[in-house]
Amino acid sequence: MPTETGRRMIELVHLARNYTRADGQRVSAVDDVSLIVPEGEFVCLIGPSGCGKSTLLQMIAGLVGPSSGAIVVDGKEIDGPGRERGMVFQRDSVFPWMRVIDNVEYGLKCRGVAAGARRDVARDYLKRVGLSHVERAWPRELSGGMLKRVAIAAVFANGGEVLLLDEPFGALDYVTRRQLQDVLLDLWEEPGRAAPTVVFVTHDVDEALLLADRIVAMRNGAIVDDIPVGAARPRDTDTLLLPDMVAIKHALLGHLGLAHAPRPVAGEKGAA
Amino acid sequence: MEPPAVSGRIEAVAGPRRSEARFSDDPFRAVLRALAVLDPFRLAGALLFIAVWELASIFVSPIILPGPLSVLRRAATDFWSAPALSYYGVEDPSLAGNLAYTAENVAIAALIGAAIGVTLGLLSARVWFVRAAMDPVMMTAGTVPILIAAPFLLIWFGVGRASAVSLVAFYIVVILYVSAQRAALNLDPIYENSALTLGAHRGRMLRDILIPGTIPEILGGFRIALAGSWGLEAVSELLGSQSGIGKVLEVLAGATDPQGILATLLVLGLAAILTDGLAATVIARFAAWRFAGS
Repeated sequence: MPTETGRRMIELVHLARNYTRADGQRVSAVDDVSLIVPEGEFVCLIGPSGCGKSTLLQMIAGLVGPSSGAIVVDGKEIDGPGRERGMVFQRDSVFPWMRVIDNVEYGLKCRGVAAGARRDVARDYLKRVGLSHVERAWPRELSGGMLKRVAIAAVFANGGEVLLLDEPFGALDYVTRRQLQDVLLDLWEEPGRAAPTVVFVTHDVDEALLLADRIVAMRNGAIVDDIPVGAARPRDTDTLLLPDMVAIKHALLGHLGLAHAPRPVAGEKGAA
Repeated sequence: MEPPAVSGRIEAVAGPRRSEARFSDDPFRAVLRALAVLDPFRLAGALLFIAVWELASIFVSPIILPGPLSVLRRAATDFWSAPALSYYGVEDPSLAGNLAYTAENVAIAALIGAAIGVTLGLLSARVWFVRAAMDPVMMTAGTVPILIAAPFLLIWFGVGRASAVSLVAFYIVVILYVSAQRAALNLDPIYENSALTLGAHRGRMLRDILIPGTIPEILGGFRIALAGSWGLEAVSELLGSQSGIGKVLEVLAGATDPQGILATLLVLGLAAILTDGLAATVIARFAAWRFAGS
């Protein structure tokens, strides 16, 4: 389990973001969102497509400026991207013109870490994601799942306190996705290091239940639910059958617009 | 297979998945690639051309069409010394000397043109007002055959190096502006965003993302520009110059010497092919990542 000191790592204060569409119509992507994420917490943002969850994440990353409101990370209001907030994108973001190892080192290189030291760190993280054998490969030689491993190794090697993941496994097959979820959790729970604070955007309910300490549901640019997930780790598919998890799943499916009659938690038979 | 340090859960994917050979710079494959340039079909095409030429020269007077062998011999003798040229008023009486003059001009024009064209092209893709200001000029210049500016440049710069160099440089600027702009616009913004979240500052973005991400496409444009530059440089020397391959062609035409003209063209053509081959090799090195995995 991550160490939860109660320190506020991410604080969103009345955050809003409007767009003007090509036809001149104003659209509110994120509308008055306030949220506090304590240090070391793994939060999943879930919601139907177009609910503003990706925009919210991009604002925390500093890639999109808010229309109003503020984002405070580790006590400082942010103004643009920074290395303390690593990001894993849904699409492939690994630089195709750098070899795998150079990609993993890139953040450290930007910070001026000496070549030998950063190579050691990069090798270590490549080993942890199971890619030692392709250290010198070009990204175009790797599969989609392997590229995601490289991207994850790169953000962890960079050592940011906050990790932002924007539907990172959305385009992968089921098996690869499950493997990468494990890779991510292993790195997050790495002993001897304070667990980074994670905001993970997904539209996959099971993924959120397997990964999150807490699930925040969004709809139409606003937070509509905020559910703690108490199940012990490590979790597996059996964990998803626990009565509490089933209840959360029903609530989330409702928020995603897949509503059916909610069943009382007490009536469920747990698998464990 | 080496088990990962953290957990056994990802064992399934550790260990080599694809052939290791694909990831290394195999020297054998490099030799094969080099040989592919000399593939038998290309060789056959060239030989067929020479055969047709030889055949035609049998039936046509050598004053009109000299045979390939005599042209080759003429090129070989004139390369280091062609005293007749000084008689016609060419400063350096050898093909080599005039080729060097032409090559220098092409090289200077390529350096200046590439620096200006690439800088403006990349800037125009990222800074809207640079694009707004430059696009009309460059797009117009791209549609007008640049050669018509040659007489005008002669008025400005005279018959020295400057007028030919500025003509060729301008041509290269236009081509590289367009290819650099297109390359930068085609570069997925996700790479710049990713670099920013990894902590890259503005200066690094240019060096680590924008330039390496666009260089294969820019070099492709540079190769096209370079191929055109030789001809353009020669033609502008033809119009007014004291040295260079173009000047040589002009005086040989005046002396009605088809053998000399063909020999000169052969030397110019070989120089252009050699340069193109060199450019292709450099491009292949910079674009290795693009063709990886395919």
